[in-house]
Amino acid sequence: MSCEDTSIRVRGLGKRFEMYAQPADRLKQMILPKVQRLTGLHSHDYFKEFWAVHDVSFSVQRGETVGIIGRNGSGKSTLLQIICGTLHPTLGHVETNGRIAALLELGAGFNPEFTGRENVFLSGLLYGISESELRDRFQSIVEFADIGDFIDQPVKTYSSGMYVRLAFSIAAHVDADILIIDEALSVGDVIFTQKCMRYLRAFQSRGTLVFVSHDTAAVTNLCSRTIWLDGGRMMMDGPAKGVVEHYLATQHAADRAKMGESVAIPAIATRRDDSGTITAEPERSEAVDDGESSIPCDVIDPRLHALNGTAQRNLLQVFTFSPPGHARQFGAGAARITNVRLLDAHGTAHKVFAGGEVVDLVIETEALQRIEAPIVGFHVKDRLGQLLFGDNTYLTYHEHPLHVLPGQHLRVHFRFRMPILPNGDYSVDAAFAAGTQEDHTQQDWVYDALIFRATESTMRHGLVGIPMHSIEIEREGAAT
Amino acid sequence: MTISAYRLIDPLSPYIALKRHFALIVQMARRDVAGRYRGSFMGLFWSFVNPLLMLVIYTFVFGVVFKARWNRQETGHLAFALILFAGLNINTLFTECANRASTLIIDNTNFVKKVVFPLETLSWSVLGAALFHLLISTIALLVIELIAIGHIPWTIVIFPIVVVVFLPFVAGAIWLLASLGVFLRDIKQFIAIGTMALMFLAPIMYPMSMIPAQFRIWMYLNPLTVIALASQNVLVFGKLPVWWHLGLYALVSCLFAWAAFAWFERTKKGFADVL
Repeated sequence: MSCEDTSIRVRGLGKRFEMYAQPADRLKQMILPKVQRLTGLHSHDYFKEFWAVHDVSFSVQRGETVGIIGRNGSGKSTLLQIICGTLHPTLGHVETNGRIAALLELGAGFNPEFTGRENVFLSGLLYGISESELRDRFQSIVEFADIGDFIDQPVKTYSSGMYVRLAFSIAAHVDADILIIDEALSVGDVIFTQKCMRYLRAFQSRGTLVFVSHDTAAVTNLCSRTIWLDGGRMMMDGPAKGVVEHYLATQHAADRAKMGESVAIPAIATRRDDSGTITAEPERSEAVDDGESSIPCDVIDPRLHALNGTAQRNLLQVFTFSPPGHARQFGAGAARITNVRLLDAHGTAHKVFAGGEVVDLVIETEALQRIEAPIVGFHVKDRLGQLLFGDNTYLTYHEHPLHVLPGQHLRVHFRFRMPILPNGDYSVDAAFAAGTQEDHTQQDWVYDALIFRATESTMRHGLVGIPMHSIEIEREGAAT
Repeated sequence: MTISAYRLIDPLSPYIALKRHFALIVQMARRDVAGRYRGSFMGLFWSFVNPLLMLVIYTFVFGVVFKARWNRQETGHLAFALILFAGLNINTLFTECANRASTLIIDNTNFVKKVVFPLETLSWSVLGAALFHLLISTIALLVIELIAIGHIPWTIVIFPIVVVVFLPFVAGAIWLLASLGVFLRDIKQFIAIGTMALMFLAPIMYPMSMIPAQFRIWMYLNPLTVIALASQNVLVFGKLPVWWHLGLYALVSCLFAWAAFAWFERTKKGFADVL
């Protein structure tokens, strides 16, 4: 890979924080060991060490969007600060190409005593924009931030939302080549977040974006690639959807482990690249082809003709349930999902459905142990892994929970009107859990249990379309 | 933003920092001056009124109460106050900068942790703001001098040279104290005592001739001595400064600034870890 196209290159990065009992020990550490070594005395360290980032290597190409996920304290912010240059790495090095604009944690480097206006000029100068240039852009910055008269108030009087608005607005106006955003958008209101997302989507086409968020849906939505950090180490680096899924599964397992339950996470198909980082295999859904082999013979297709004739022909072509063992799944294993099928309202399987039609999603399960209060549910996700809708049996049955004994089967029907879907691949995750909505253990979670492809949709905007009962235009008044 | 490192081996590196970020430094200094009186009724006018009021107090206390005389030639209450004022202005510049320096980095934590900020420029902008106040005080002094004595010595044209010689030392002191202030919070207490000592141990409130001869040479170890004497000479006495004193001072001042700048640059990598 040529240097020209690499925006960020991180090699063997390590950051050690030296924790001192008192600040003066730090000064001693800077001087005394060197003196002691010179004089041949045994030197000793005045600190306890803590590695916030350990042996992290990756590169980001120009124009790429990379998400970074991980729990609190996993080293995300430290890593970003090193990339931005506000922290110096203990080991390894970072190369960056181009102007970096960063929104680290809450707000940029504002001086709280300065007014918004003064901070705009200050930040702009820091980014290397000349004063006259800043005067030209000032109006546009203020309009984007949309904080009204507060622009002439000291920044310390701002709400956290206003703070981020101004910070984001400045970052958006400095012609950055690399934009680094750390959790910043979570405090903005919906309208501003939308505005930022629009900006980020436009920015993606010309610059490099590094995006850190706990909102895994936003990460899968925005990022093509995601890096998962845990304990300062890189756990995975690969397509966003796969990394996020594995991250969430591991989170759940870790959560339940604390409560003494074990949730098995079968290894995702992974490979190690030469740098030793685990890279997730490409998405399975991308590998799905229209091959007949994946369609079982009990699927019939009587209506394709009829549907083709109608105006509302949002075709949903269904691929089959992946047999257990092939599917990516995790869970404690007290039950397993044996089959997931999509049927029409009369219980007949089809190869093709139409958006807007009533369907019956059937999840078949088998208990391997006695389970009190089972919950069966599903998620429908788009190609980016973004959750569109989902439901489960909890609310319907929580008054009179069933229990299930080893060897018994549960067949669950979800009957609902399938929304009209924009073109693309969709997947259904099926899950079997035990407990309550708030506190449950996943016994078996199957990713992409069912995959279907929407074609010939006339929908262009939004995530799902609602079947319209009727659309009318009423015209009133006499013509003049 | 990437900021290329300074070649610390270059004695000019402190001034390269000044040149490279000049717009930023001016912006910060201007904000600093404006911010001090923000919201006050008389605004910038305070910068002018403050020194005038001080001058009145000095005249009363030293001239009228103590009946202090600088030497045989200088009589009159106001003359003493003017001489005192010429020296005190120099001390005020230094004290203001030193006090700000100890908490300079701590007060600007955002600049350390959130953005890539050329922290070394903070020294220059603090100095810039202090210089502005020195300018106002000096104008006040000259106005009083004109009214009270009737003329201003021509030697005031040399005053800028005296100040320029002083600046590298003050900038260096800020770098040194600012860096130490991050690691040693006690430095603040030390500065309060230290600046007080420097004021009393310089020929500001008394003439050099009052110092016993055997101590006189030691007075020159005080970094304020040469500058205060030169300031009194050119602003009040109408005498030329002792040139070789100033020349030697300039050399030491620049060497100190260079060393302090290098120290600051070496230690600033650790700031983010401490704050």
